[in-house]
Amino acid sequence: MTKNISDNICNENLFSSVFTKYSKSLHDFLYYKFGEAFNPKDKVQEAFIKLWENCHKVSPGKAKSYLFTVANNLMLNEAAHQKVVLKFQKEKPKHYTNETPEFILEGNEYMQKLQSAIANLTEAQRTAFLLNRIEGKKHREIAELLNISTKAVEKRIYGALKKLREDIKEL
Amino acid sequence: MIREELIKKWLDNELNPQEFEAFKQLEDYEELVRLSHGVKQFKAPEYNTSGELNIALQRIKTIKSRPNNWLNPVLRIAAILALSFSVYYYTTTLDTNITTLVAQKTTLELPDDSFVSLNAESTLIYNKKDWKNKRDISLNGEAYFKVAKGATFNVNTPIGTVTVLGTQFNVKQRQNYFEVVCYEGSVRVTQKSNIVTLKPGESFLILNGKRIAKEKETALNPSWINNESSFKSMPFAHVINEFERQYNVNLDPQNIDLNQLFTGNFSHEDKELALKSITLPLNINYRLLNDTTIVLSRD
Repeated sequence: MTKNISDNICNENLFSSVFTKYSKSLHDFLYYKFGEAFNPKDKVQEAFIKLWENCHKVSPGKAKSYLFTVANNLMLNEAAHQKVVLKFQKEKPKHYTNETPEFILEGNEYMQKLQSAIANLTEAQRTAFLLNRIEGKKHREIAELLNISTKAVEKRIYGALKKLREDIKEL
Repeated sequence: MIREELIKKWLDNELNPQEFEAFKQLEDYEELVRLSHGVKQFKAPEYNTSGELNIALQRIKTIKSRPNNWLNPVLRIAAILALSFSVYYYTTTLDTNITTLVAQKTTLELPDDSFVSLNAESTLIYNKKDWKNKRDISLNGEAYFKVAKGATFNVNTPIGTVTVLGTQFNVKQRQNYFEVVCYEGSVRVTQKSNIVTLKPGESFLILNGKRIAKEKETALNPSWINNESSFKSMPFAHVINEFERQYNVNLDPQNIDLNQLFTGNFSHEDKELALKSITLPLNINYRLLNDTTIVLSRD
């Protein structure tokens, strides 16, 4: 436990640096967990406004977990655990000119299978897996964001991969 | 087992070159890469951190955080205290108002040890606050005062003011009638330009605007305190008014000279007897018309 210079973040510069550090991770976390139906961007804003309103109670060290908890709760208030279907971007062939032919062959059919397979993952699996695969976050970083152990993250990601492959084969 | 380890390491981007070669040799390598690539297309929408930060900064400016948040509850408590204090102050400085109705008498203790007895249909107004420094009472009607020692004691009536110099006295102010009788100590009466100091037994009477001399009072206190009204050479109209006040009835005088003088008493306890007391000496007949009206007439 290191003692911070200031014990709250009622300071615009400090607030801005916290925002820059965590807002994107928070946004991605919310998006992969809940989808876009409930406006992850707005929830990020709301969570940071709440943080500011309570800035004298939250130390900089606690800010991250405060933000994630608040944003998660904001979402849970609205999202009644609906099935989350994420959108994928349409293929743009020129994008893959350097890629092996296998990639170019990826058809719409495969993407649709993948879409429903991702929707079938648990929230925990999906969040960890997509943060890892899409945002390129290391297991350790994800563990830090979610306040869980690296081992648990590894388990979630590997579990998600296994489940995806099974689902795609079945479909 | 090796295979699972390799995949896990691949997932964490931790493969070294040799391990990567081994990973490539896995039979599901292509499938994994394809999956991994496909998943990338589910990327979250672009998030513009600096743009979002500007929005957030503007929003917090409108909230304008209260860095001294402790001030808020303190202000609230202060407001409540101020409010209750002002209500307290207002109610305690409010005039005290005591009124007797017709056929009603009351005695009350003033903030010091002074006593006031209030006769029927009279109003007394005083203010508790500052009573120690300024004993001011407004009176409309008739009251008997027993004043404790202290600051100047004033009784203000519409016709005149009575200033007490430690004493017992009676003030009677009715329509066109103002009488002060001093029973003990001395009293100063101010009425227009008249300033009179009364000694025990002396009285001051203004009837229809004229000062009328009265003989010395011998009683120790006014008769109404003993539930009697007494009159000495008073116009009969005053007697009728006083009777109406004490018994809550209407006297209807017919062919009677209301200015003739009356001397005598009537009791406040027996209406029949009281009626006789005021009618027999003047040869007047009375007739009870109903519960509230009595006709007076002369044959």
